[in-house]
Amino acid sequence: MASSVSSQHDQVLVEVKSFARVLTLNRPKQLNALSLHMISRLLELFLAYEEDPNVKLVILKGKGRAFCTGGDVAAVVHDLRTGGWRAGANHFMKGYTLNYLMATYSKPQVSLLNGIVMGGGNGASMHGRFRVATENSLFAMPETAVGLFPDVGASYFLSRLPGFFGEYVGLTGARLDGAEMLACGLATHFVPSAKLPMLEAALCAIDSGDPEIISSIIGRYSEQPSLKEQSVYNRLDVIDRCFSQKTVEEILSALEREVVDRRDRWISATIQTLKRASPTSLKISLRSIRVGRFQGVGPCLVREYRMVCHVLRGEFSNDFLEGYRAILLDKDKNPKWEPSKLELVTDTKVDRYFSKVNNEDGEDLKLPVRSKFKLPSYVVAKL
Amino acid sequence: MDRAFQRTQILTNHLLRSSPPSPLSSNACLSYSPPELSENNAFDVEEMRNLIDGHNVEERDWLFGLMKQSRLFNPRVRGGKVFVSPDYNQSAEQQREMTWKRIEYLLGRGAFERWLTEKGEEIEMRRFAGFEVFSIYDHSLFTKLGAHFFLWGGAIEFLGTKHHHEKWLRDSENYLIKGCFAMTELGHGSNVRGVETVTTYDSSTGDFVMNTPCESAQKYWIGGAANHATHTVVFSQLHINGTNQGVHAFIVQIRDADGNICPNIRIADCGHKIGLNGVDNGRIWFDNVRVPRENLLNSVADVSPDGRYLSSIENPDQRFAAFMAPLTVGRVYIACSAVYQSKVALAVAIRYALTRRAFSLKPKEPEVLLLDYPSHQRRLIPLAARTYAMSFAANYLKMLYVKRTPRSNKTIHVVSSSFKATFTWNNMHILQECREACGGQGLKTENRVGHLKGEYDVQSTFEGDNNILMQRVSKALFGAYMAAQKRNKAFKGLGLEHMNKPCPVIPSLLTSTTLRCSRFQMDALCLRERDLLNRFVADVSKCKAEGKSTQQAFLMCYQLAEDLGRAFSDRAIFQTFIEAEATLPAGSLKDVLGTLRSLYALICIEDVSYLRYGYLSVDNGANVRREITKICSELRPHALALVTSFGIPDPFLSPLAFNWIEANSWSSV
Repeated sequence: MASSVSSQHDQVLVEVKSFARVLTLNRPKQLNALSLHMISRLLELFLAYEEDPNVKLVILKGKGRAFCTGGDVAAVVHDLRTGGWRAGANHFMKGYTLNYLMATYSKPQVSLLNGIVMGGGNGASMHGRFRVATENSLFAMPETAVGLFPDVGASYFLSRLPGFFGEYVGLTGARLDGAEMLACGLATHFVPSAKLPMLEAALCAIDSGDPEIISSIIGRYSEQPSLKEQSVYNRLDVIDRCFSQKTVEEILSALEREVVDRRDRWISATIQTLKRASPTSLKISLRSIRVGRFQGVGPCLVREYRMVCHVLRGEFSNDFLEGYRAILLDKDKNPKWEPSKLELVTDTKVDRYFSKVNNEDGEDLKLPVRSKFKLPSYVVAKL
Repeated sequence: MDRAFQRTQILTNHLLRSSPPSPLSSNACLSYSPPELSENNAFDVEEMRNLIDGHNVEERDWLFGLMKQSRLFNPRVRGGKVFVSPDYNQSAEQQREMTWKRIEYLLGRGAFERWLTEKGEEIEMRRFAGFEVFSIYDHSLFTKLGAHFFLWGGAIEFLGTKHHHEKWLRDSENYLIKGCFAMTELGHGSNVRGVETVTTYDSSTGDFVMNTPCESAQKYWIGGAANHATHTVVFSQLHINGTNQGVHAFIVQIRDADGNICPNIRIADCGHKIGLNGVDNGRIWFDNVRVPRENLLNSVADVSPDGRYLSSIENPDQRFAAFMAPLTVGRVYIACSAVYQSKVALAVAIRYALTRRAFSLKPKEPEVLLLDYPSHQRRLIPLAARTYAMSFAANYLKMLYVKRTPRSNKTIHVVSSSFKATFTWNNMHILQECREACGGQGLKTENRVGHLKGEYDVQSTFEGDNNILMQRVSKALFGAYMAAQKRNKAFKGLGLEHMNKPCPVIPSLLTSTTLRCSRFQMDALCLRERDLLNRFVADVSKCKAEGKSTQQAFLMCYQLAEDLGRAFSDRAIFQTFIEAEATLPAGSLKDVLGTLRSLYALICIEDVSYLRYGYLSVDNGANVRREITKICSELRPHALALVTSFGIPDPFLSPLAFNWIEANSWSSV
């Protein structure tokens, strides 16, 4: 069947290939950061494909050197400033709805992560059934550095990583390569980028949406990469000892205890990263991952939406705007966090981020109804 | 969406979704439909969880997370989800080693930080939360920690003095010392004053000499003694210059740091048990064991270096009572953990009943969900109401305990005895009902509900046999009655103030409105307690008038004593429910709790005692039963939210509570 490109100017390119649909995020200059338009378009496409018996498989990839670097923060800030917090929250509401749809999708989604995948890019891929990493993959959830917290359902997928690796990745924004993504389970397969065109062609040739068949096809092109000697994944024992601690303060002291006996550049760098991050972000992120560990993906997103509303309303802290200024706008990399210290972010302050937004126009995230589709068991297990 | 319409839709979907029948089977294949997709929460389950957990919710989640994320807690994937539970198929020896490794892991992560070295409400509540969480994972873990922290640690704290605290508590908190608690003997359990272990004082060497004089004096069931404990608190008769000064507590080392048993000590295993095989229960014999003089826990009595007996409490009865303090806190912990096992069982059984179908009402119709059968609702939903009631009562008991004063000791003793007995009995009943409600699947150890019966049976025995505890409750009520009468004063304390008011009257015709009125419910519960107390006092007095001793009279009136004990518990529990409800603002949470409270009250009033003693007419008895079935069907739409609010994380429930078809699929074999 001939492939068709719907529109050259479209930010999401659509190719129809037999029973597969290949969606390409097409904003390469912005490293495929998700605009509100892209999110709406993806939502529309995913909803339509679910109803369409001729679609059995959705492939998602990015044009250029990134899969997707996340949400369009500049646009969020613009809308926040001109239209109030609700306008800013609209980006997240749409995005989280898409995340939930992908997490509970009745058909398999294969994401080809051949490049940078950060923040919202993870939200658009990690919830799907198959995540293919390559030697070009670069994963991170860097939100704590810009006054946010790992959202897009990260409190679901990070909290389910082995041991306390999820706390480590979520609090420090650590960057992982393809081999590490596979080792910890963020990726389901590792395929060298040179083989991606063949893999894509093979997937587009099948007439089945059976996850086992898809898995075996990807398996044919997969390799078992070896972890670099310096890989953080070889430091799981230290990560578990330190990041299992009850509070952010205790995590920091545990890390500091580790370097008392022996100098260790990685641990020192980790301490520095945590000290540079927004104290408020660190505390709400830790709580979010810990609570998310025992919640279904829906309740995780509902909670994250409450949290992000509080962040945008700036009732307790304006770290999000400050982080945007220092990291993305002025790029002085010198944010002035407020509260400035961990001990000033009390438990009651943290509690407030998890409360229902008390405002006449504040409302909880409404998740799309999923009961009319036959959901595969790997989806049922996430509810 | 209209509920009925929604249900029809679900049923239709169920039919449409089914794959076409193969030539071999006439029935369509069943598929698992997660209850989350069909049931709606009419109230905020997080808010409800915060209310019934009551305290340290974040701490609880942290501890759950510590266990779930570690290989030591035996995670297994079933039906696409991770579950943690010990491997009960291991030998008792292996299970004991695993319990110990889990304790070491939790210790290393700081889970017991400040548990023994800090005092006050905050740390005590944190400790309660910890024990409740550990009990949800495994009763052996709870019990082994309990023997070390609240029995050994509690004995040193309550029975020891400053130098004992300084010498032992920090090392115990860090497990440099592993403690156990040697009270029970083969020949004496509940009657601690009858223990036969004998200790004398040798003033020439300045130490005590401890002996097990006969086989019935061997210490029995000592948790931690068989494998791991290095030290124990021994309860023994103290003989000074030929005078028996009664039971006292001594610290005795039983193993060296390398785990070798000390000289003059013999230890044997208690053998395989019906549950708790992860705890190394042991038996201990003492053969002229020398114990340093300062190892006598001397908060109430001491022996001087030259061998004189010194005590601040002259009355031996009161002296003995002071030694029982660690058992009181033990009862609080046990009562609370019993409530959480009921939560686990009900969450599993109700979730299963929301996904399992059986029998069609008409041919070719889909089979009916178990929980849509009124009879199944009647079996499980009242137990959920009872569990909510117990949660509030447990929170009350914990607060009573942590805010204790010398004056409240008596109340704590009575309430903890009553709640420990009632909750643990209720728990066994709930576990059995839930096991049966899960059908054959309830028999699988991995589904937890059935297995918990063996694990938790012991709770009706340890820290005081339930029957004996309930007799003590009745005796205490008798005492309160006599004290009020003798001094011609009003009743005060133990919630007996209602005795000062005119006797409530039950209307001759109980309408639905009356039955759901909290005032009526409280009146009905008070009426029974009041009447039974009057009857008990009258019968005991009659026996005494016939020349029997008070003790004999109590023994003769045991039937009334049992009914009275139950009446006291039910009323005291109900009181805590009313108080919890009163703290809430109007709204969906308060509404559903009001309905649960009515259900709890009515199942108490449905008790046979109301007919036996004539508080209810046969007609009113029937009205009560009818109202119960009505409330059950009203609560049916809330069933999922009610058990989700229990706050037991999915990995700590069982495969049966989730996709049990996938968990049993061929691909998972």
